[in-house]
Order: sequence, then C-alpha cells, then structure tokens
Amino acid sequence: MMDNAISLMIAVPLLAAIVAFFFGRGAKYAALIGSLIPLVISLQIFREFDRTTNAMQFVESYDWVPAIGVKYTVGVDGIGLPLILLTTIVTVLVVVYSWGETKRSNQFFALLLLNEVGVLGVFAALDFFLFYIFWEVVLIPMFFLVGVWGGPRKDYAAVKFFIYTHVASLIMLLSIFALYFSYRTPEGLRTFDMMTLLAATGDSTIFSPMALNLIFFGLLLGFLVKMPAVPFHTWLPDAHVEAPTAGSVLLAALLLKMGGYGLFRIIMPILPNVSPNYITLMAVIGVVSIVYGAFLALSQKDLKKMVAYSSVSHMGYVLLGAGALSILSVQGAMFQQFSHGLITCVLFMSAGTIQHIAGTRIISELGGLADRMPQFSVLMLAGFMASLGLPGMCGFVAEVSVLAGAYENLPVYVLITIFGGIVVTAGYHLWAMQKVMFGPILKKYLDLKDPHSYEILSMGILILLIIYFGVQPATITDIMGVAAEPLVNPFLTLAQTGVI
Amino acid sequence: MLTGLVMVMVLLGLRLKNKNIQGYLALAGLAAALLLAIGADRTTGPIFFGTVEVDPLSQFFKVVFISVSLIVVLAGLSRYKDSPAQDEFYILLLLATIGMMVVSSAVDLLTLWVGFELASLSTYAMAAFDRERKNLEAAMKYFIFGSVSSATMLFGFSLLYGLTGTTKIAEVAAASMEMMGPATLVALLFVVAGFGFKMALVPFHMWAPDTYEGSPTIVTAFLAAGSKKMGFVAAFKVIFIALLALRMEWFMAFAVLVALTMTLGNIVAIWQNSVKRMLAYSSVAYAGYIAIAFVVVGAVNNGGFDIDVALGGIAGSLMLILGHAFSKAGAFIAVAVVGYMVLREGKENSDDIEHYAGLGRRAPITAFCMLIFLFSLSGIPPMAVFWGKLMVFMSAIHAGLVWLAVLAVLNSALSLAYYLRVIMYMYMKEPAGEKILEPRGYVLAMVVALVAVFYIGLFPQAFVDFAYSAAAVLLH
Repeated sequence: MMDNAISLMIAVPLLAAIVAFFFGRGAKYAALIGSLIPLVISLQIFREFDRTTNAMQFVESYDWVPAIGVKYTVGVDGIGLPLILLTTIVTVLVVVYSWGETKRSNQFFALLLLNEVGVLGVFAALDFFLFYIFWEVVLIPMFFLVGVWGGPRKDYAAVKFFIYTHVASLIMLLSIFALYFSYRTPEGLRTFDMMTLLAATGDSTIFSPMALNLIFFGLLLGFLVKMPAVPFHTWLPDAHVEAPTAGSVLLAALLLKMGGYGLFRIIMPILPNVSPNYITLMAVIGVVSIVYGAFLALSQKDLKKMVAYSSVSHMGYVLLGAGALSILSVQGAMFQQFSHGLITCVLFMSAGTIQHIAGTRIISELGGLADRMPQFSVLMLAGFMASLGLPGMCGFVAEVSVLAGAYENLPVYVLITIFGGIVVTAGYHLWAMQKVMFGPILKKYLDLKDPHSYEILSMGILILLIIYFGVQPATITDIMGVAAEPLVNPFLTLAQTGVI
Repeated sequence: MLTGLVMVMVLLGLRLKNKNIQGYLALAGLAAALLLAIGADRTTGPIFFGTVEVDPLSQFFKVVFISVSLIVVLAGLSRYKDSPAQDEFYILLLLATIGMMVVSSAVDLLTLWVGFELASLSTYAMAAFDRERKNLEAAMKYFIFGSVSSATMLFGFSLLYGLTGTTKIAEVAAASMEMMGPATLVALLFVVAGFGFKMALVPFHMWAPDTYEGSPTIVTAFLAAGSKKMGFVAAFKVIFIALLALRMEWFMAFAVLVALTMTLGNIVAIWQNSVKRMLAYSSVAYAGYIAIAFVVVGAVNNGGFDIDVALGGIAGSLMLILGHAFSKAGAFIAVAVVGYMVLREGKENSDDIEHYAGLGRRAPITAFCMLIFLFSLSGIPPMAVFWGKLMVFMSAIHAGLVWLAVLAVLNSALSLAYYLRVIMYMYMKEPAGEKILEPRGYVLAMVVALVAVFYIGLFPQAFVDFAYSAAAVLLH
C-alpha cells in the first residue's frame, strides 16, 4: 500500500467536489466515484492495519508553517480508524440515498463531498492546528446544506448551528493556544504536535493546576457542544429538523462523532493529569443525557425531532462509557460511536422518506403505512429495533459493553436510573413505530408505494452492516480495545496508589 | 524606491497615450513595480539624503499597496471604460500609491508626512470622483477629518523635533530614551490621535463609514484595503521605533482603544442594512484587531522585553493587514458589481442587502468570490485572514493578555452574524431578477484577489517569514 494513503483519501473527495461543482447534471456520478474511492482506500487501510499495537500508523508528516510550528501530520490508530471507516461508508450511502436530488444538484453533491473531506481530516489529524482547521471546515458544508436545502425555518437553524458551534470551537482554540505556548520541545521550538502536547500535560513543572484546569474545560466545552451533551444540546433539534435528510444523516452519523472522538483523543489523555475526579462529572453528564434525551424524545410529535433527541440520548452512552473507566466500557463507548453512526442513518432516512412520500412527519397524522410500503417498513422496523437495543444488532453490543463496564465501577443507583432511561427508549420507539406503520391504514394513504429503489438500497445496506457488526463486533472492536488500554491504564495506576 | 521610479515613468507615459490604453499601461506599470518589490534586494541602505530606506518592512507594505492598486485598476478597466475622466482616475490612483510607498519607506518624520499628504490629497479627489451628491459629501468629510488629523500629527511631529532636535526616526528614538517630560507626553498624545484618525480607531472612526459608503465603490476598496494600511505602517514606524521608550504610556491608551474599536465596530456592523456600510464598520473592527500589536508590544515590557512575543504580535498584524487587504478589496469590488447590476435595472439604494437576494444565481462568479472573501474575513480557515487573526490572538495570549484574546475571539465570532447574513441572502433567498453578465474587469479583479486569498491561506509560510523579517526591522 502506498505511503500517502490517508492524504489520498482526503484529497480524492476534495477533487471530486470541485469536479461535481462544475459538472452540472452529472454531479451525482462524480460524487459516487469520489466517495467510493475513499471507501476502498479506508478498507485497504483497515485490512493492513496492525491490530496488536496502539501506536499511530500510516503516519505522514510535512512542514506547513514552520515559523509557528504547524505541521501537516496525519495518522490513524484504533480511535480514529473505525470512525474513518464509518465516514467513508456513510458518505457513499448518503450519496446513493440522495440520487434523486434535483435542486441545484451540483452544489448539493459537492457539499456532501466537502463534508467528507472535513470529517476525515478531523479523524486523521495529529497536529492540533490541522485538527482545528478541519474541525472548522466541516461547518461550511453543513451550514449550506441546512440553509439552502432545509425546511421552513432553515435560516434560523443554519445560523444558530454555525454560531453556536463556532463559538465553542473558538474557546477550544484558545485552549489549544495555551497548550502551545506552555511547552517547548527539547530543541527549544514550539509545536502543535498533538501527541507531544498531550504527553506534556503530565509535566507539572510546565503547567500550573489552574492553567491546566482552564485548558481542560475549554477543550471539553468544544467537544460537549459538538456531541451534543445536555445542557449544550439545544442547537441540535433545530439543525436536525430543518436540515434535508442527507444533512441530518451526516450531522447525526458523522458530525456528532467528532465530539466523541475529541473525548477519546484529547480529553481522556489529559484527564489524569488535571484531576481524575472530573471523570465523575463526565459520567454524570452522560447519565443525564441518556435519561433526559429519552424523555425529550418521548414527548415529541414530529418523527424527525424524536430521532434527533434519541441521538442526544444515545451519545450519552459515549460519555458514560468514557466516564466508567474500564477497558470494556471505553471500548463499548467507542463502538457505540460507530454503531450509532450506522443506526441513526437508518432512522433519519426513514423520517426523510416518510416526509416526502406521505407529506408529513407528525406521528399522530400517520398510520398503517406498512400496508402499502412493505419493503420500506421492514427496513424501518429493523432500524428502530436496532436503535432500542435489540440483541443481534450492533447497538445492543455497544450499550451492553458500556453498561457492563459501568456496573464494575459505578454505584448501583446510577444503573437503576439508566435502566429507567432504557425503558423510556423502548417506549418511544415502539409507540412511534406502532402508530406510523401498523394499525389500519388511513384512507389518504391508500395510494402510497414503496420509495425509490436507491433509498431502499442504501437503507438495506445499512441494516446488513448493523446486523453484521451485531453478530461479529470483534471485526472492529479488537482495535478499539487495544486503543482503550492506554486511556484507562493511568487511572488504574492512580487507583492502585490510592489517589482516587 | 526603484518601484516608485517605474511608476513615475508610467505616469509620464500616461499623459501621452490614447485614453482607453491608459488603464492597461497603469496595469503594466503596477505589475512591473510588484515584481520589483518582491524580487528586489530587501536591504539597501538609506538613500535620498538618508530620508528613505528599503527594508523588508517597506517591501512588505509595498507589496500590499501595489497589489491593492492592481486589483482596483483591473476593476477600473470596467468601471471607467470610455469615460472621459479615466486618465485622472489612474493618475490619482498611481499618485496615491506612490505616496503610500514613500510612507512605507520613510525613515524621516518629514518625508513620512509628505508621503502621507501626497496619498491623502489624491484619495480626497478620488472619493469625489463620480461627482454625485453622495460622493461630494463623502469626500468633504474625508477631507476635513483627514486635514485635521494631518495637522494633529504634524503638530506632534514638530513637538518631537523641538524636543529632540532631529526628524530622523532612529535619532528621535535614541533621544526619547533619555528624556521624558510632560512635553513628550503631549507629543505622544497628538501623534496617537493623528494616527488614530488615519487608522479609524474608535473614537476617531466617525469619518470612515460615511466616507466608505459615499465614495465610488472601487475607490472605497482602495481606501479600506490600501490607504488605511498606510496609517498603520506610519504608526508602526513612529510608535514602535521612535517612541518605544514611552511604551508604558501608550500601552494603556491602545488597550482601551483596541477593545472599544473591535467591539463597537462589530456591534454596529450587525445593524447595517447597507452591505457597503456593513463592510465599512467591519473595517473599523479590523483596525481594532490589527492594533492589538500595539498592546502586545506595550505589554511585554513587564519583566524584561521579550522580543519573541513582540515579534509575533507585529508579524501577526502584518499578516492580518495582508489578508485583510485582499479580502476587503475583493469584497468591495463584489459590492461594486451589485451596484452596477442594480443601477442597470434603474433601482435605488444599490447597496441595500435586499439586492443580494439570490445573487448566487444572478451573478454566480461574484457571489462565489464574495462568499470566499466573507468567510476569509470571518476568519474561517484555510483563507488568508485566518492566519493573521490566529497569530495576533496567539501573541495576545503569549503576552499574558488573556482578557484581550478572549474579547477578540468573541468579537470574531460575533462578526459571523453579519457576514453570514449576506451569505444567506446570496444563496438562500429567491433571486430578485434575471441573471446578469458580470463585467470582465470586475471579475478579473475579484479572481486575482480570490487566488491571493487562497494562496496565502494554503501556503502561508513564505508570507509569515516575510512578515517576521519585516517585524524585525521595527524592533532594532
């Protein structure tokens, strides 16, 4: 395999985006090819990846702005690789799902590809600076996807999304600067190198506890807003409800994962150096997100809004898994990121398809669709079951790992609270499913038919993947487990020496 | 200075040739000058009786000035095609550019002031160029404020001369190290106020929005992107070199001015319905960001002078000046295209944001360029302004001015509100008319600026090095 696999994977969609932009009606073909090539490259990387080590692999490093120590450094390990794989898979399927998009289709497909560039960059960047740049680049395509192709309140939703997350990332940037200025390499130079700076936070001669606390909370805020965790979740329902289906899918499946990725890549390595007790804070936010998100979802009338809040709830498991601090739970949290990425695609695609076929997403106005849309309803049912945690599907594996890991380390009443959340989760999924799909068909829906084959195809592939990873999670969890060890071990050491 | 000579020759040539060719001649002259400014040896000693000097700092600013003139001339090719007054336009533009270049090279207070006046007088005339009511009002305001500030500045200079017995900047610096009295402070006050006007720092900014809004739009591009930066190079030279010894005194003054300028500029910009005026207020805000360098250099005094921090701050400001010059010039030219479009339809209020509705489909090239310029101005990577903002904010943190950095970052986020508003109008509203044919000169000007914005954004290293070597000139 060539040495520049990652750069190539990032560059191809960028080129394809430019081609698609100028291609007019053929844009979707350019988009399909431009997203299939990164998928092939990422699969190849996954195949050649050395599963026994947690070292960075496929590393490339070039000077970019040496005057201020900025480098172009990319590489993957067990934290980033599954998400890169998720990104390339989801982008292809979103392109397929959007095959019928006719409104300014060249721009639409170019933006889908540009989004892929940014997200892949975030998951691969090993230089804080590069990381921040990709992090910001992602905002632009999503802003346009919501603002141009969105629903009635798209203007408000697009601006709210942009400014809310931009402010959070600027605060994160200030923290990055503070890290940058605190540390000099042995040669006396400044650097933005992520691994070097993260390791340096352990040196108490460089960082005062006060400074480290500020840095930590600045970074944490950036990631919690992106995830989004309660109480920073308020931008999400607006953006999701107004976004076009493809935008919602990318938002939920990929953009939210950037927050979770930051948690594992940046927050957890710093955490033992700041104050191990903050881990409790993360677990608490996680539990609140799970339960509160589930109740919010239960009370929604709009199917898409319900799915949006279910994302808040499910992303809570990521925080909880990180906070529970056992290798099993951290690995489960990483897998939850991957599996939620797949499952939420199906849910948002279902909501989008119902919208354009039945003309509404209000749950109480729908009924009996299964009668006229048999293929679609099977896929949607499978997606909902996966989301509520049916065994045999990947969501179940992830959540059980998190809970089993949490059981070791957290008090029992936490788990009881979460089980309350799980009951509610099952409740809103089943209730919505029952109302929308089953029961006698309403008269006005007698003429409906199954959706276009490309929509069925992309949803079908997702369901197959969900089942495959539900039965064979070890295909991908093995590298997550290897990556989880160095994150958890410092805490174990601290625990043994009695600090915690 | 060679660059200046080339342009004088072009000026002479201009008088002789047929009128439509003059624009191209000016273009060729500027292009030659730009090549010289980039390629020439960057460190000749003092020339012209020790009044001017070619150094990296002067070359850096010359690159900025000449590029902006070049972009404006390109736009002028469309704007003033077949106009009987076009020779005056190009001559004024070139004269102003020469004035600005003299300022950037001056090492003598008097030379500096003369260059300043040359540039200012030419731009006063340019502001009134279309001879409409609005132009005249703008030019009048500009003239009155400009003359007062020149007078203030000159008074400050004369006090400095009286105190130190020399007009050479380096000698003033040596002398000001030794003596410090009430008279020095008065001189400082006048100099800061005079430069404050030129740089449009709040509360000396009142003229800027009115002048920018009233002038012909491509002249506004020149004023905002080029001639305002002249105020900065002059202020850098006088304040950093000649008055470095007084930094404890001006540190506080600039800290307050900068905080006010950024915040006020951004907040007022949000409420504007005229895109041109909005961009004018954003220029005011930018004056604030750029002037952070003064605060940073002033602040590093505590506990020994840390040259690294000061260098970083000034280099950041220079990068910001460079990025802002291209982005703002491009943005104003996009405004000019819309103005042209609206005038052809016979509608009024050509700068109103309503006319930007659906621009993405009416004038796709203009809208796309505007989009990139606005993203650049809001500091989104990987566009040119991003690096400048970044280095300035970093230097503020480095100098221990966390409050200032946080304020600047929040301001930067706030500015998104009004930039995004224009973008939403351009791409998310239904078009208000037919697709138009975009004038070729404007398009070329915008594309040049666009390429520069991306090139600086993607390959900043050479420019950052250049900025550092220019900053080093100031701190010796």
